[in-house]
Amino acid sequence: MKLFDRLRPAVVNGLRELQANKVRSLLSMSGIILGVASLVAMVTVVQGMVGNFRQFVDAMGGIEKITVTREQLPKEQEHLAELSEGITMRDVERIRKTVPLVENISPEARVGYERLIIDGHETSTYVTGVTADYLPVAKRWVDPGFGRFISGLDVLNMNDVIVLGSAVVPELFGPNEDPVGKIVKIRGRRFTVIGVLNNIEGTGMQIRSANSRSSGGAWRWRNSGAFIPVSTAQAKFLGNDRLSGLGLRIGEAEQLRNAVEQTERTMLAGHKGLRDFAISTNEQTLEDFRKTEAAFKLSLGGVAGISLFVGGIGIMNVMLASINERIREIGVRKAVGARGSDLFLQFLAEAAVISVVGGVIGLAVSMGIVALMNYILTQALPTGAVATLDWVIMSQGLAFSVVVGLVAGVYPALRAAKLDPIEALRHE
Amino acid sequence: MSALIAIRGLRKAYVMGDETVHALAGVDLDFQKGEFVAILGPSGSGKSTLMHILGFMDTPTEGSIVFDGQEVAKLDPDLRAWYRSNRVGFVFQSFNLLPRLTVLENVALPLLYREHSDPAANAAAATVALERVGMSHRLDHRPSQLSGGERQRVAIARAIVGSPSIIFADEPTGNLDVKNVDRILDLLGSLIKEGITVVLVTHDLSVAEKAHRVISMRSGLVQEDRTR
Repeated sequence: MKLFDRLRPAVVNGLRELQANKVRSLLSMSGIILGVASLVAMVTVVQGMVGNFRQFVDAMGGIEKITVTREQLPKEQEHLAELSEGITMRDVERIRKTVPLVENISPEARVGYERLIIDGHETSTYVTGVTADYLPVAKRWVDPGFGRFISGLDVLNMNDVIVLGSAVVPELFGPNEDPVGKIVKIRGRRFTVIGVLNNIEGTGMQIRSANSRSSGGAWRWRNSGAFIPVSTAQAKFLGNDRLSGLGLRIGEAEQLRNAVEQTERTMLAGHKGLRDFAISTNEQTLEDFRKTEAAFKLSLGGVAGISLFVGGIGIMNVMLASINERIREIGVRKAVGARGSDLFLQFLAEAAVISVVGGVIGLAVSMGIVALMNYILTQALPTGAVATLDWVIMSQGLAFSVVVGLVAGVYPALRAAKLDPIEALRHE
Repeated sequence: MSALIAIRGLRKAYVMGDETVHALAGVDLDFQKGEFVAILGPSGSGKSTLMHILGFMDTPTEGSIVFDGQEVAKLDPDLRAWYRSNRVGFVFQSFNLLPRLTVLENVALPLLYREHSDPAANAAAATVALERVGMSHRLDHRPSQLSGGERQRVAIARAIVGSPSIIFADEPTGNLDVKNVDRILDLLGSLIKEGITVVLVTHDLSVAEKAHRVISMRSGLVQEDRTR
């Protein structure tokens, strides 16, 4: 309470000085303004990017996904090409038996970029043969009321059934038409539509109108495609038992390394040592992104740090100039009973007032920067707003500026506190 | 009756380069309660040094000062600040009002640094002090809007606002015209009725003559101490 009583007039004084020296104060604040603005804008934008990328990685199947794809044999094994039988359902069985870390295995047989035809409408999309395990591995689902996904029975019976991606539906059907139960032709073969996959963008499924060519937005590639039973794809289109790849889902992300190693060993053993496959994870993508994020934070944080440092110097400079101008005032205040600590508090409060006002202006500037960044980023990648300011970051930015102001104010305030009252009163 | 201030063997030496200057070379003086005293002397006589030491702005090199029964010659800076805030008032030649504060705020300034300082009570006390010097009609003016005589009256109000025991006036009329000189000296002289000791520090004999007691100083020593 006592400290507050001493602080109140000091803060009032600080505001008065600020008002009396507007231009000088604004100039001395510029560093703080820039520093706070860049700090808050940087943290906000980087956080927005991280959030966006998490979404992206999730749409790719998340960090717990391992992808096994067919690969050309390396040079030293080229002469053994005859022995390579590619990835088959036998690999699925082997991994299921020997790698317990893997919870789901989705064998995938790519048929190709095919024309889907129904009653005069047609569209082209990738057709892939999959099993029921595709859903948990790709983190996809079929919303209630939109049919079902391919079942084990469909695979066993090589049924001619098809599940469509949500972006394909408006290309083939009218806005109020239910695709489930309709017949779609691929290479003259008739497939019954049994379901529609969930739409990745937004909550639930959003089927856009047929004339909305941009439906699906940035996730369009994830929402397009059509899925048939893997056995149907192999027997009726590909004519062999080869798979284009496997998607594996593990239980815990921490076990990713072990699961990759075990899968590789199992595959190598099953393929008689032939490296006709490649294993990849989203970890590398995530790692690359983390590096970019760190580089961003470091460079922008450096800019913000330097600005705040310069801002601190600016405040110190203006405080020293102010004290030089007000030596007589300091003498008078001491003569009427001010202690050194009273003057220390007064000038420290002035520095703090400058930095708080500068910090608040900086926050306003950061709002502008974030709005501008959002505008630019949404033009570049139409995934919606990238970054939103939150009050935690903003109050941290403000706290940062206050700390800088206080640190910068200590030395000038000490000088004021230590002035000899007699000398100060004689000062012209 | 014991004196308000009793000083014995007061010495103050400054080291300036290789030379030691004895600003006070052994001063013995008593100041009574409600006395109107002038300290007269040319520059370098030690009168300002004496005022600074008695006003708790400086400490002596040697000697004793008893203020209201307390030995105060060697106080730490915070205690001296307490005495300046509670027991002493200053009036300066150049007024020394703070330009950005209003008349009322200038007068209330000494109360700001007291313990349990309360803005409303401070403003009330400052208004009373301004009424005492006839300046209560200009509470919200800035010092720059006042004449020299008015400024000095405001400065006197600032000196008396904290009910001090003693007021030091350092050449209070040096910047004033003749008409205002008498007015300010009369005002200072009238304060003794309230039991305040007024010490006028000046090199001007005609000003010093207004006081009831004139102490002449030269070379750091009291040359003459006469009461009229």
